[in-house]
Amino acid sequence: MAKSKSMAIFVSGLWKENPVFRQILGICSALAVTNLMMNTLIMGLSLIFVTAMSNLTVSALRSITPVRIRMMVQTLIIASYVIIVDILLKAHLPDISEALGPYVGLIITNCIIMGRCEAFARHNTPWPSLLDGVASGCGYAFVLLTVAFFRELLGFGTVFGVRLMPGGWTNWTIMVMAPGAFFMLGGFIWVARSFGPRDGEKPEGAR
Amino acid sequence: MELGLSAFVIFFAAIFTNNILLTNFLGMCSFLAVSREVKSSLGLGLAVIFVMTCTSALNYLVYHHLLVPLDLVHFRYIVFIIVIAAFVQIVEMVIERFSPVLYVILGIFIPLITVNCAILGVALFMIIRDYSFSQSVAYGAGGGIGWTLAIVAMGGIRQRMKGAKVPRPLEGPGITLIIAGLMALAFIGFTGMIQIQ
Amino acid sequence: MIKKRLFSVAYMFGLTLFFTAVVSGVYELNRTQIEVNEEIKLQKIVLSVLGIDVKPGIRDAEIGEMFENRVARHEREGKTVYQGFGEDGKTLIGYAFPLTGPGFWGPLYGIMAVDPQLRQIQGMAFYRHSETPGLGGRITEAWFSGQFVGKKIRRVGKEERHFSLVPAGTATAENEVDAITGATGTSRGVERLIDKDLKDYVPWIAQQRAKGLI
Repeated sequence: MAKSKSMAIFVSGLWKENPVFRQILGICSALAVTNLMMNTLIMGLSLIFVTAMSNLTVSALRSITPVRIRMMVQTLIIASYVIIVDILLKAHLPDISEALGPYVGLIITNCIIMGRCEAFARHNTPWPSLLDGVASGCGYAFVLLTVAFFRELLGFGTVFGVRLMPGGWTNWTIMVMAPGAFFMLGGFIWVARSFGPRDGEKPEGAR
Repeated sequence: MELGLSAFVIFFAAIFTNNILLTNFLGMCSFLAVSREVKSSLGLGLAVIFVMTCTSALNYLVYHHLLVPLDLVHFRYIVFIIVIAAFVQIVEMVIERFSPVLYVILGIFIPLITVNCAILGVALFMIIRDYSFSQSVAYGAGGGIGWTLAIVAMGGIRQRMKGAKVPRPLEGPGITLIIAGLMALAFIGFTGMIQIQ
Repeated sequence: MIKKRLFSVAYMFGLTLFFTAVVSGVYELNRTQIEVNEEIKLQKIVLSVLGIDVKPGIRDAEIGEMFENRVARHEREGKTVYQGFGEDGKTLIGYAFPLTGPGFWGPLYGIMAVDPQLRQIQGMAFYRHSETPGLGGRITEAWFSGQFVGKKIRRVGKEERHFSLVPAGTATAENEVDAITGATGTSRGVERLIDKDLKDYVPWIAQQRAKGLI
């Protein structure tokens, strides 16, 4: 498989067709877990895993899956991987599992995964589908980590729990509450869209 | 354990102080996509209220009377999704059969409801918080109404804003998120209105 | 046509069976670990609130051993109480009991330890909650629970609360502690449940002591 095609898929998922700020998918969790970077990192990694594995599985099964029931099949596959992630977190990272709470289960309804399965994995071979899953997951994680960076820094003065702000800093508590999340994500979209291709223009390598 | 929260209080909290959209961020995707005007927002909202209330009740029953006794708790995600999808499918068939007019109006919203993470989210939260049956139903109903309140308000605001000059990169989801942030800020003002403890 | 439908149903069924098996497999493999995590977590908390030194990096097996040697668990009349013993395994150093109550998002679970004479709080910690990380979630932080250490357990009327959670930075009186800024709901929940459980357990433990049961 041509290296340039792999790169194209990767760049697309990460930036040009970024699921969060371009396609506006996966917003719920982008707002909910981004008040601490550690939680965001685990959420991001979980999503990369589930999207990649779901894409791989859907792609592998694409020729035998009857078209009419494909949504149910996709949901079943996605839910299974999410449950596996949930169990593994509970067993090996219990504190983080509790901090993430119901948002791990909500990965199932994260529109990104279903979106990629429908748009890409259904029509492509397993390896590119896997890559696409990883790329979209990374695109998501990238946006979330950036938002989380600012929210944790301004709201707690720390990054990954390490104090970075000078002693006299008063925490902008609003940043770790709901409004802060909305403002940060809105701001990120503003900045990201100012730099990316204009809406309506076809980005290169678009599918 | 006895939580001491009346179903009534949970109902009001889900609408105002713990609005599932503005505080818990549930149901954002359809919120951002559909909230352009009041009419469509209200349509989707009413459908969500109905589905959310009923599936909360159903999921409670399935969880406590099927999954827990059989020690299959870790399958709750799959089971809840199936219950929700099946319920929505049945509702769609019923509407199509008995009111073609209603079906034409609400038809497009139906697929949007199944992937509305708010519905699954409400089910998951009520399990974590160990609500009783009446508390769960109150939470489902209140959650739906709270969600509808938020999306209708947003629809009204965006309708009014049609003539405004929004910077291009902010158009659409960007500005909607910022408005949502202002709404969330306003809703925080409701805290303390209801003495939960 | 029928064949297609049949295939769809069979396919769905088969796939569901497969994934259910895989998920169940993963669950069974990890189940004991999950349960062990729960138990160790509880033991760690009980040990630390009783003032028994739990060094960071301590292995799970060592915790189990320490718990075995220095804590006795009693369940009676629907209540659970832990007796903590000194290094000799015999001298009573404190009692610990569970704290439960509604927080903002969901129930809070913690353990509180008091001295053998039931006069002051020796330690407190929350080990399970569904609060917002960084806001209500801060009840697990040392600075928050540390405020209660050394506080005297006074006699209070039924209507009065043992402790009041006041805006952060303003706690002055003996019965005041700082609440968590931005987490009013959680703070109120904590105030209420500490009061309820102190009123519930302290007289009961005294009673059990008098009967020579613990």
